Amino acid sequence: MALLEVEDLAVTFQRKGTAPVHAVDGVSFTVAEGQVVGLVGESGCGKSVTSLALMGLLAKRGVKVGGKALFDGNDLLTMPGSTLRDMRGSEMAMIFQDPLSSLNPVIPIGLQVTEVLKRHRGMKGEPAEKEAADLLDRVGIPDPRRRLKEYPHQLSGGMRQRALIAMAVACRPRLLIADEPTTALDVTIQAQILELLKELVAQQGTALIMITHDLGVVAGLCDEINVMYAGRVVEGAARRPLFASPTHPYSVGLLGSIPRLDAPRGEKLKPIPGSVRDNIAWADGCAFAPRCAHRTDECLDGPPALVQTYTGHAYRCVNPVTGDEVEAVTAAATLPAPSIVDATTDSDGEA
Amino acid sequence: MSLLSVRDLKVHFPIKRGVLFDRTIGHVYAVDGVSLDVERGGTYGLVGESGCGKSTLGRAVLRLVDVTSGSVEFDGKDLATLKGEPLRKERSRLQMVFQDPMSSLDPRQNVESILSEGLAAHGMIGDRKARRAHIQQTLDAVGLPRGALSRYPHEFSGGQRQRIGIARALVLKPDVIIADEPVSALDVSVQAQVINLLEELQNDLGLTYLVIAHDLAVVRHISDTIGVMYLGGIVEEAPSDVLYVSPRHPYTKALMSAVPVPDPEVEDSRERVLLKGDLPSPANPPTGCRFHTRCPWRQETRCDTERPELTLVGDGHKVACHWAAEIEAGEIQPKSDAVVGATTAEVA
Amino acid sequence: MSAKTDRIDRLAELTARKDEGGHGLWYEAFRRLRRNPLAMTGAVIILLFVLIAILAPWLAPHDPAAQTWLGEIRGAEGFIPGPRSGNWLGVDGLGRDELSRLIIGSRQSLLVGVVATLLGFTAGAILGGLSGAFLGMFGKAGRWVDSILMRFNDMALAVPSLLLAISVATILGQGLVTVMIAVGVTQIPVFARLLRGSMLAQSHSDYVLASTALGVRKRRIVLNHILPNSMSPVLVQATLSLATAIIEAAGLSFLGLGGANAANPEWGVMLADSQQYLATNLRLAVYPAVAIIITALGFTLLGEAMREALDPKLRK
Ligand SMILES: Nc1ncnc2c1ncn2[C@@H]1O[C@H](COP(=O)(O)OP(=O)(O)OP(=O)(O)O)[C@@H](O)[C@H]1O
Ligand SMILES: Nc1ncnc2c1ncn2[C@@H]1O[C@H](COP(=O)(O)OP(=O)(O)OP(=O)(O)O)[C@@H](O)[C@H]1O
Ligand SMILES: [Mg+2]
Ligand SMILES: [Mg+2]
Repeated sequence: MALLEVEDLAVTFQRKGTAPVHAVDGVSFTVAEGQVVGLVGESGCGKSVTSLALMGLLAKRGVKVGGKALFDGNDLLTMPGSTLRDMRGSEMAMIFQDPLSSLNPVIPIGLQVTEVLKRHRGMKGEPAEKEAADLLDRVGIPDPRRRLKEYPHQLSGGMRQRALIAMAVACRPRLLIADEPTTALDVTIQAQILELLKELVAQQGTALIMITHDLGVVAGLCDEINVMYAGRVVEGAARRPLFASPTHPYSVGLLGSIPRLDAPRGEKLKPIPGSVRDNIAWADGCAFAPRCAHRTDECLDGPPALVQTYTGHAYRCVNPVTGDEVEAVTAAATLPAPSIVDATTDSDGEA
Repeated sequence: MSLLSVRDLKVHFPIKRGVLFDRTIGHVYAVDGVSLDVERGGTYGLVGESGCGKSTLGRAVLRLVDVTSGSVEFDGKDLATLKGEPLRKERSRLQMVFQDPMSSLDPRQNVESILSEGLAAHGMIGDRKARRAHIQQTLDAVGLPRGALSRYPHEFSGGQRQRIGIARALVLKPDVIIADEPVSALDVSVQAQVINLLEELQNDLGLTYLVIAHDLAVVRHISDTIGVMYLGGIVEEAPSDVLYVSPRHPYTKALMSAVPVPDPEVEDSRERVLLKGDLPSPANPPTGCRFHTRCPWRQETRCDTERPELTLVGDGHKVACHWAAEIEAGEIQPKSDAVVGATTAEVA
Repeated sequence: MSAKTDRIDRLAELTARKDEGGHGLWYEAFRRLRRNPLAMTGAVIILLFVLIAILAPWLAPHDPAAQTWLGEIRGAEGFIPGPRSGNWLGVDGLGRDELSRLIIGSRQSLLVGVVATLLGFTAGAILGGLSGAFLGMFGKAGRWVDSILMRFNDMALAVPSLLLAISVATILGQGLVTVMIAVGVTQIPVFARLLRGSMLAQSHSDYVLASTALGVRKRRIVLNHILPNSMSPVLVQATLSLATAIIEAAGLSFLGLGGANAANPEWGVMLADSQQYLATNLRLAVYPAVAIIITALGFTLLGEAMREALDPKLRK
């Protein structure tokens, strides 16, 4: 059995006088120990809200959460607050995008790390301090003893993110949720952090949910990938099949939109027309339909059902992109010698 | 002769302290001796990490910040020494596209007023009707609906706002457009639209671009020539394809290997050059080669004492590294822990 | 075929935007205000207050200066009648109708609050605007002028406002005008700082840079972009200032600087007058105090709601 089983998670924000916002609208996925599962999608598709819901960090007022999230068989969504609080930090932990705002600015890093150790592992004094220094050392912060006494603003962005990761893994959580942990960082620092996360998963068997908008990041890190659009998972598959044969027109479109470092010069990108503002409500049909070049009449017949293929691919689309159409996308180039990549997505869609 | 040529440009921001009277206690060496040439109709891509001085360089070329020393030759005139009215007049020929499409548009101006402001400032197209027609035409060119004219920036999506920003630059029919991170605030699917638009406009109008970005993949996609910046200086410059196939500077190698590629096959089979530590502060840059504190190929001599010049090593390929030739020949090896091999972990 | 066009129509219908747009920021802010219940509460309080002030002579049941001879109704020594028919809130220590005095008193409070804030706002905005404009337009010389103006301003800001008000009052003597000027003058440096700071922040924004790059003249940039975009915090402050001004005016009158007379009652004076009856007739202090608090609250609510409505971060 998987460590975490999320089933039909739905989060609706409802404030008086405004229309309800279905931020997350039926998200299902599972995460096993030692597995890295990616949630990818563009801004506003509900990635962060999903993670906050799993951690029980959403406000109580004006928020309706539905579905199930079984952690080791226990539903996180119905668990009493105190149990959840105990689990946060010890069983599951989260890393946020902005390391500066998730650290307390007026407390030294060391104290913040030992605080976690004290709360969840009952460590105190010198042993706690030693463990904290060890942790910082393990996440690659040089001179950890000195750093323990420093304040967050004295560290660089990369260092802060490392400190945050150290705090998150202090109690060897079984589940780690990373919400865009590298988006605010430079690529060379991002490479360091991703390497660190890979190590953690490999050494400690932590289950990792990686949230990002960067398909490149998930391509190198994740075992399973879920592509989200407008609050739903529109395609889910293992890493290689997803990139080799993307099925949902949105995934195909995303891959065609990204300028690849290894693509030859002069090749046109294939953008998805419009923006998320053009979406329709899922109740009326496929939310992506207005932007979709692969649209058919059936797309407006209500929300498309989730289709499971025998290969483990799952997608929500009534007119999926077939293998031949994306073959071109899969003719991948290898670094460093660049070769031709023809990212044709689909040409026969009626626009 | 190139259209825009920058020579030994320096922009140093004074760091001021003091209670009653400000005292200069040091400088941020944001741009510290940069030379580059942008050919007419070409695209020069400037890439580098946060804080390396890319934006400052772009702004200095447009004289939006004060230049400490050096020259910016544009079409035979040195912009760096121009002042007052002559400078203002010259501005119509060089335009800028900004990173944040929201903050670079005045929230209280509607699109028509945003687009006519530059025209009015230069007394271009005085006739009301002709001006409106010209603005409409520009809107069409950037793919915005005509109804957009009476709307305000906050009523558009991010991608549309960036189109407004591009239209504002285009409306003056400039020769050069400096685009500072034109797509980094946009969603992936919208990024591609804007990149394509910039390319189409260049083809149709013969524009010259200086594109600034931190994303090497984006820069490589649209540039003919790429300059890699590190801590205020250019460390390597090469035609786009050459740079990709044979990066010569250690920093370029590291940068290139750090850019994720959306393809598991590639990701699993590539080697990474991991850099230790962070970017040093531009207020207190390292001596000698600015990169020596993080360089896996660092040598005992020269690196920390002598600042390498940008020197020609091939056709249009320039590198600022003392040991570029030795590294290329394989005589110098990087520190062993800096290169991470391909991941073998594989869960299918 | 027709089924197909139906679908296309349906898609068009589903994606059609309800709002045609073309609304400026002020309009949007106003719409947000309208939807905010706190803002509406504040607005209703203010509206009531203004209406009462304007219609005071017609609303007041009695002449605020007319005294009932207390001896007639007074049973025991020191007894002041409370609410009763004819005097809904009772009478004060001199036998004047409390309700009428409160109603007529609102005029003074409104007048002082508005005039003082207007004074502070205008002078402060001119000072701050000049400072900001010099800074934006004239390079080094501009920085000098700004420096000098702002150092003076800092000094004024450092003086406690009540002290400043008392000094002004000692120079000009007692009276309504004194209170107005005193309260207004203390507001000047606040507004000046605020506008200048706001202009400075705006002048570093990207759209100002964009206008400069377009070749727009500095003067035009300052007047057309920087100034209008700097006004919202100042307007919010003005609304909040009305609350402080009313409280401060009451305070000065309480200290006897207002020079209110029997015919022109003022809430602060009423509060002062009630002092001697505090032990026996607390209500005489409570009425004007509640009036002051409620009006101040009205302006504060509206001001805070305006701050929220105009906040660019909350803008969609
Ligand atoms: N507290 C809230 N109240 C109302 N709506 C909210 C709230 N938080 C989030 N939303 C809405 O929910 C949707 C999903 O937001 P979420 O933050 O999960 O996006 P995301 O996928 O993490 O995007 P990003 O990449 O920008 O972080 C958005 O449309 C957002 O506007
Ligand atoms: N007006 C200024 N005054 C003082 N320092 C400045 C100013 N503008 C920029 N700097 C500093 O100069 C350095 C270079 O900044 P710049 O904005 O050019 O970097 P960048 O390469 O564009 O980075 P990013 O990718 O983050 O935009 C930074 O250290 C920055 O803090
Ligand atoms: Mg998010
Ligand atoms: Mg920049």
